[in-house]
Amino acid sequence: MARYGMLIDTKKCIGCYACRVACQRLNDLLPDENFIRFEEREEGVYPSVAVEHVPLQCMHCEDAPCAAVCPTGAAHIGADGIVAVDQGRCIGCLYCMAACPYQVRVRNSETGAVDKCRFCVVTAHESGTQTCNCVDACLTDARIFGDLDDPGSEISRAIAETHAVPIVADLTKTKVFYVR
Amino acid sequence: MTFEPIWDVIIACYLFLAGLGGGAFITSAFLRWRHPEAVNMIRIGRVIAPVTVMIGLVLLMFDATAGLQNPLRFALLLTNFGSVMTWGVVFLGAFMVVSLVAAALDLTHRRVPLPLDLAGAALGLCVAVYTGCLLGVCKTFPLWNNAMLPILFLVSAVSTGMAAVLAVAIIKHPEEFNRVGVLKKFHFCLPIIELVLVASLLFITANTASVAGWNSVMQLVAGDYVLAFWFLFVLVGLVGPTALETWLLFFSPREFEESRRAHWISFASDAGVLVGGFVLRLLVLVAALPVTMTVPWL
Repeated sequence: MARYGMLIDTKKCIGCYACRVACQRLNDLLPDENFIRFEEREEGVYPSVAVEHVPLQCMHCEDAPCAAVCPTGAAHIGADGIVAVDQGRCIGCLYCMAACPYQVRVRNSETGAVDKCRFCVVTAHESGTQTCNCVDACLTDARIFGDLDDPGSEISRAIAETHAVPIVADLTKTKVFYVR
Repeated sequence: MTFEPIWDVIIACYLFLAGLGGGAFITSAFLRWRHPEAVNMIRIGRVIAPVTVMIGLVLLMFDATAGLQNPLRFALLLTNFGSVMTWGVVFLGAFMVVSLVAAALDLTHRRVPLPLDLAGAALGLCVAVYTGCLLGVCKTFPLWNNAMLPILFLVSAVSTGMAAVLAVAIIKHPEEFNRVGVLKKFHFCLPIIELVLVASLLFITANTASVAGWNSVMQLVAGDYVLAFWFLFVLVGLVGPTALETWLLFFSPREFEESRRAHWISFASDAGVLVGGFVLRLLVLVAALPVTMTVPWL
């Protein structure tokens, strides 16, 4: 069994939102349904200032708080450790949205159910893609997707080389890592 | 990015009504113990309890749109017993059954068995505490994630439950209202306890590790919600009723205390408690800020 994870290099991210658009288009999301939330942070003091773009999405926590609080079992940790929402079980109580420390879950305005980054299990199932749409779409190769348990995988090597870390230390056991 | 509260007015109404219903049943059980002669007030509590909780539950179902569109999914609510919400459904379900049976027996002038009253009071307490635990387990929000909140919600629930029963009694059965002194004194104490709990909650929350706690408290006491907090919650909901009841219970002559004018002052105090109870729930919901948005990844 693989343990899928992602690395996001904010030093390479130019904030073009191509990942978010690709995610929305290829996963057939609604126009107001974003699985990737962008935060911008200013660094430095005038005149040498820089803006860091930080794309945030479901961290696929190994100790997912959303799955812990979901009363219907809709939010759960599925195969390969991917945190998923069973759309047929969700009642839209939004408890998972309150429990998620990263605020990256969204409500589908048509069905009322909650959804979020799926690590593209849908497209992988239908078209056999090996990676995520956001990773494919990224112009600057800021994103890497792969098996964290395989020490030889591109993502495992990249995490070791770049010393990538979770976005906030000690909040949950995330499987998305950031280079800052 | 600014943070939009996940739950707002509808859920605040639900939390308020569920607490009020639980508190009303507890009030009835208390009256049966200390003022068994106040049969009409006992009945008022038994009727208020299932009605308010039922209204709250309907609101809850309307807020859960995916469930509303597929009502069968509500059956799945009993699948994850690790979730506080699942426990809430158990407590609410049991409370509805017990309080409806008690109300039906009382309204048909049959004796309500004591064990039923005790079970209802215990379940009412569970419902009130659960509304606090529901929010309390969300580690994301320092304003919620503490052991103070369930206790605060419990005290507020009993306070609003008593206020509702007393307010209806003033309108429908003033003669009984004059004879429930012990209940009134208990009811008098609750806003004072609430004040202590709220002050503790805010002091502790403001000093949690995350700046989100500080910001949440500042939103309440000096920020966007300053008017609602100080005026509607502290003044109208806590200090006002305490001042009015202190005067009525301890400093006014007995003839005045039992006069119709005093009744309406007491009614205003109870209305204040109800306003405060609702505003407390609403403020706790909307002022809570998540740890990750106020500390943008340091």
